[in-house]
Amino acid sequence: MEPSRLGKHVLLRASKKLRFKIGLVIVVVMVAMAILAPYIAPYPDEGLGRVPLDGEGRRLLPPSPQHLLGTDTLGRDLLSRIMFAARAALMQSTIVIALSLVIGLVVGSFAAYFKGFVESVLTYLTELFMAVPSLVIALFIRLATNTPGYHVVIVSLTLTWWAWYARISYVYAKGIVELDYVVLAKLAGLHPLKIVGRHILRVIFQPMAVQAISDLGSALLEASAINFMGLGLPRDYPDWGVILFEGLRELSVIAFIRAPWLVVFPGLFILITTLGFALLADPLREELDPRLSRRWRLWF
Amino acid sequence: MSSNYAVELKNVTAGYMVARGFRSILKQFVVVLRGVNLRVSHGERVAIIGESGSGKTTLLRVILGLLRPKTGKVIVLGKDIYRVKGRARAGVLKRIGYVPQDPYRSLNPVLKVKDIIKEPLEAYGYSSELIEDRIREVVRLVGLPLNVLDETPEELSGGMRQRVLIARALVAYPKMLLLDEPTSALDVSVQAQIISLLNSIYESFNITMITVTHDLAVAQYLADRVVILKDGQVVEEGEFESILKEPKSEYTRSLVMSYQLLSNMSRSESEESRL
Amino acid sequence: MVLAVKAEGVKIGYIDEEDRVQWAVRGVDLEIGSGDSFCIVGESGSGKTTLANAIAGILPPHAIIQGRLIIDGKLVLDNGRLDFNGVRGRIVSYIPQNPGTSLNPFMTVEEHFYYILRDTKSLSRREARRIALESLMKVGLDQSVLEMYPHELSGGMQQRVTIAIAIASRPKIIIADEPTSSVDANLRAGILKLLNRLNRELGLTLIMVTHDIYSAAAVCNKVAVMLVGKIVEMGEVKALLYDPRHPYTRILLNCVPVLGVKKPLKPLVGEPPRLYSDIKHCPFLDRCPFAVETCKVEPLLEPVDEKRDHVVRCWRFKELKSVEL
Repeated sequence: MEPSRLGKHVLLRASKKLRFKIGLVIVVVMVAMAILAPYIAPYPDEGLGRVPLDGEGRRLLPPSPQHLLGTDTLGRDLLSRIMFAARAALMQSTIVIALSLVIGLVVGSFAAYFKGFVESVLTYLTELFMAVPSLVIALFIRLATNTPGYHVVIVSLTLTWWAWYARISYVYAKGIVELDYVVLAKLAGLHPLKIVGRHILRVIFQPMAVQAISDLGSALLEASAINFMGLGLPRDYPDWGVILFEGLRELSVIAFIRAPWLVVFPGLFILITTLGFALLADPLREELDPRLSRRWRLWF
Repeated sequence: MSSNYAVELKNVTAGYMVARGFRSILKQFVVVLRGVNLRVSHGERVAIIGESGSGKTTLLRVILGLLRPKTGKVIVLGKDIYRVKGRARAGVLKRIGYVPQDPYRSLNPVLKVKDIIKEPLEAYGYSSELIEDRIREVVRLVGLPLNVLDETPEELSGGMRQRVLIARALVAYPKMLLLDEPTSALDVSVQAQIISLLNSIYESFNITMITVTHDLAVAQYLADRVVILKDGQVVEEGEFESILKEPKSEYTRSLVMSYQLLSNMSRSESEESRL
Repeated sequence: MVLAVKAEGVKIGYIDEEDRVQWAVRGVDLEIGSGDSFCIVGESGSGKTTLANAIAGILPPHAIIQGRLIIDGKLVLDNGRLDFNGVRGRIVSYIPQNPGTSLNPFMTVEEHFYYILRDTKSLSRREARRIALESLMKVGLDQSVLEMYPHELSGGMQQRVTIAIAIASRPKIIIADEPTSSVDANLRAGILKLLNRLNRELGLTLIMVTHDIYSAAAVCNKVAVMLVGKIVEMGEVKALLYDPRHPYTRILLNCVPVLGVKKPLKPLVGEPPRLYSDIKHCPFLDRCPFAVETCKVEPLLEPVDEKRDHVVRCWRFKELKSVEL
């Protein structure tokens, strides 16, 4: 018998796997860190970016009992900064993916369902935007608005990510549009928007959502890249990419030797968070697809 | 200009544009149905017999308003469905109970059965109580237990899914049923169940039934009149009995013979003792 | 006389997502003589395809197998250990169900023959072509199809090509999996006649898997009816057609529509079940109109008469003989 594809059953089966559990732990820890940062960070003010009065003397200290991860270029406790930065990380990736997902789903399913002119225009736009690199857009936005901030990251990433989801939705939706239950809905006189919502979006939402979870990590990577280039969030802001930016700006490549903790730790957190999302999404994807994956593992 | 027929096709020629050539620039029209004339009276049971490639799927789509024919008229329940628009057209289409071919791919996998069956009623402004009652009534009619309403199609077997499709087709009191290969995807023992279900529905409601199938033996039970389709043309039509006894066209003859050949073979085979 | 196929207590199952074994074949004993044409009839979930795959040697690697299977005198299955070397593809050949998807769309017919014969018999291109022509002739096709690609052939021709490929390696046994289900009615008789001919004229042992008991009757001389992983009736086709003893066989014969005979269809209740972990009662218990208390224990396969070539798995086969359906 075919295993159930209902959301809750998929979740139940996936949750038994080790990868899922590890991923879940990582994500929960990061979320907790983001929420509880003001309460558990050892130097909350410094975490937010304020330079302490005795900062000069505490610059670039290696990890020690007072500063578990060391201090940065202005003497601020790195651990606190990193903890507060979890917030920015999660916010950026979630907003970007959520916006892109919504736009992409709508564009893709409309293109597949309404066909004709609408299809041509939307697919053309999709292909156009897929070719655009986010970093370049970020640069433009930064120069155009002349202020750093969340908007740079969110706008540039959304503009490039939505097309990715639009393309996937389009492919899925095209497969569904020819199926008989859509024909039946049309015959029943259902409003086209209702048909798209009930028969296309609801059906493709599951695989898309799983893809989105995994993409949260990828979005974080790209957002960090933009911030790392100094195009996104401003200096002193709690963000892993920004911390890296400051470190390398101040010390350039010597940072690796002079203050490796400054480079390694933010990077490590980016890596682990991305991994967490990927580990979470993988078992979900496997449970959603036919059980081929399991069989192969049994064989090898 | 109302017609006395449930369905009337007058000299219908239909087909598809197929992309040819580099980058699909050139398109060519491929004719699938040629000059098809068809008349189904109210309360009649007709079977459209066609092998693969005969055009039966295209014929269905034409009747359902999904494919505009190149020439000819398609009059369903009194209205020329490719001439009228809007409400009038939608009204006709809503009165057709369509049972699609593959029970494994015709049901939305994330919806519950009750929502699937409910859908045709949504266009009418019925109260939710009335809708609930009607859904339960129609589920019982097709021989399904009431608890199936809260399940999703994935949890149902082939025969049960087929019954759900039939229930949905019946829920809005259709004026006619259009069935596409209602038994081909099912096991033999289940086929017989569906055939007898369809028969009992016909006996209770005397509803017009058009069944499209390739299986003459099954059509025997589901139709009184038969229309034989080959290469997009109607090669023969008439009462079932007379077609069997005196097929007029060569194709019908060979079709009927191939069924009889099989039963002859089985009889002669079993008469010879091998060991 | 060496038996073509001998199965002893063969059980085949798969592990499901809860790590339980679901048995597709729950214990089959049968003997197929060399030159026989044997049909395995059943609906979905009966295990017929799994059994046929086991004989053909194409079970998936994660299948759980018990019992013994001997093909042409060679022990190929011995309680979990498989050894199909020299048997699969050489002594036993397999004709898949859907020829459209079993032929490589990127290879011509000739190339199909060549690659298979090169690998199994190390033949050269010329020798392979010669054998290809021979095989094609035997199935009623001429050399013009050699250069064609599968999509250029009609469904019936595709089926014939797969049959030709199957007999090219000169097997002793061919297994045909639902050979007529994807074929139009007017071509069906042709394919069945062809299989018949291959069995009679070439002496090939034919094992046909089908859900259509009348197709089986047209071609085979012996039939086994499978239900939920076990054989419930087996014997010569004449015996099963005219003197079916198992309620399932009787109802099956009854509810298949036959053109020209408008008998009232007496359908079965319920549906053929899917995989079972294991059942101790008669596989037909929930659908049998004649079920009684004793049916809660699974019956054994008993011979109908002293000749022992017609066997039935039903406690009540003697008393039900005269009972109307």
